[in-house]
Amino acid sequence: MNASADKAATRASTAGRENWLLLPPVLRRLRDLLVLLFALITLLFLLLPLAGDPAEILAGMDATPDQLAAIREKYGLDDSRFNQYLRYWGNLAQLDFGTSLVDDQPAMGTVLRHLPATLLLAVMAIVTTIAISLPVGTWLGFRPEAPARRVSAWVIFVMQGIPGFVFALILIQIFAVSLKWLPAIGFARPENWILPTLALASFLAPNLVRVIAANVSEAMREDYVRTAKAFGASPVEILWRHALPNALLGATALIGTQFAFLMSGSVIIESIFAWPGIGWLLMERIQSLDFPVIQAIAILIALLVFAINTLTDLSFHLLDPRLRRGASHG
Amino acid sequence: MADQAMPRASRIAALRSRISTELVVGILMGGLLAALLLLRPWLSDHDPMGTDLLNRYQPPGTPGHWLGTDQLGRDLWARALAGLEWSMTTAIMATAISLMIGTLLGLLAAQREGVVRTLVRQSIDTILSFPGLIVAICVVALWGQGYWPIVLTLGLLSWPVFARVCFAEALSLLQREYVQSAALAGMSRFQILIQHVLPGLRPVLMVMLAFHFASMLISESALSFLGLGAPLGEPTWGNMLAASRAELFEAPWMMLVPAAGIVIAVVTANLIGDGIAALSRRQGKGIDV
Repeated sequence: MNASADKAATRASTAGRENWLLLPPVLRRLRDLLVLLFALITLLFLLLPLAGDPAEILAGMDATPDQLAAIREKYGLDDSRFNQYLRYWGNLAQLDFGTSLVDDQPAMGTVLRHLPATLLLAVMAIVTTIAISLPVGTWLGFRPEAPARRVSAWVIFVMQGIPGFVFALILIQIFAVSLKWLPAIGFARPENWILPTLALASFLAPNLVRVIAANVSEAMREDYVRTAKAFGASPVEILWRHALPNALLGATALIGTQFAFLMSGSVIIESIFAWPGIGWLLMERIQSLDFPVIQAIAILIALLVFAINTLTDLSFHLLDPRLRRGASHG
Repeated sequence: MADQAMPRASRIAALRSRISTELVVGILMGGLLAALLLLRPWLSDHDPMGTDLLNRYQPPGTPGHWLGTDQLGRDLWARALAGLEWSMTTAIMATAISLMIGTLLGLLAAQREGVVRTLVRQSIDTILSFPGLIVAICVVALWGQGYWPIVLTLGLLSWPVFARVCFAEALSLLQREYVQSAALAGMSRFQILIQHVLPGLRPVLMVMLAFHFASMLISESALSFLGLGAPLGEPTWGNMLAASRAELFEAPWMMLVPAAGIVIAVVTANLIGDGIAALSRRQGKGIDV
């Protein structure tokens, strides 16, 4: 009792010394976000000169010096790097992300037009992942030592080692090339949606299955479950009323992380299936060094990931009564 | 009956606390991969880059090409071995960079309060909230292809994984009574770190190393697959997969060979990581199970 109070006091005092500005949680989040954007944008600006001259790529191989100069002037590339950097921040403050070097469209507008496809894929993938993982994980965790479940656990372990893009190629090979059941690429019709969704879910599900199974089997060994058993609760009742709620709580954090991962992690799947989302756009524009669009993509995804992580933290605190009155977790 | 069963059961329990199936299988597979890597010069006499247009699209099982050949008649076994070397060396190097920076900064932050700790923690949080793959794609695309760009990009973007864990673990170790009494007894900060904190970090770090290696290997082959990592034409698993996309009708084995390579390497690392984790959990828990 005394010792823990002591520890809490030390922790509070170190926390105070550590934060030169003692900020409430909301402001701390905001500070984190600003630091994130600053680091991201600065990093990309520092790296850009490594890639070569965007004006030369835009103008093509046989451009005259006059043409090059005209392009540089049009896009402000004749200014010093540092001035370009400052100007970018100035424009950003007015929510102006610049115009694409490829088609002169507003950069963020272009990116936002590709956002729904990415979100659609992410939602389908995460729903499929949960729909697969919940029953399988519960089944595995309910009695992990049963032989059939031990075999399944090994299968799931191996599946966990298959990267999504490898799985995508295998799925294409089986369902599009050999069986000819489903189209290999495209976006227009719902049958186009199946393979990319499965490719992403197949990568995420094994992880979630294992976490749910571990949580369920751990919950089944808890004292309150043993007590419920002793009072004659049926196994189904124990599972639904006691083990599952706890298992799901533990899985919330992972589901949030996985959804955040899908924002950027679907790049490869999108480019394999020609899925017109943000990742596909990134791969297309990176070849032409369309810097404003690349920058807008990085910023938008960072914002999305940040928002999802914040919401996950928040829902975690709302769902878990043990954390509700607890101290803030820095 | 109980008298006879007890010692046997406890012997099995004692054995189980030292061995885990995952770890045994993982180490065997890892040993096999290491052997393939070391014996590579003697395992295939084909040049991984040597084209042979008379023998294109040979299926696995062809005499002289037991894994078959690709669209240019190059031997897939030789290419798979070359890919193994590339994947292993890039993943190990990226993991090592990540480990070194992460451990150093994590320990530094745990030991020094004030500005140093704030800076390190803020960088950890910031880099961890980068959309990893997108930033890696941008950096590698802007920097250029090659061994060092990809190794440094992966290592420099992923060290916060180690730093965060090292920081948290070291901080809790530094508050233990035996560590504090060592400090009172006049042990220097550096000695405390080496003698008391680092050994305490070892189990966690070993588990993390295995999983981190797997994720570096996946990231590297993903970047190569996108045409951004390994130089084009270099025999790496990612490049081989990228080339196989156009030949799925003609030669599905062109996809299966590098895919199998990636999966085997990743599963091996996962087995080792899981095995060590299971062992330390069992040893920590003791008689409970």
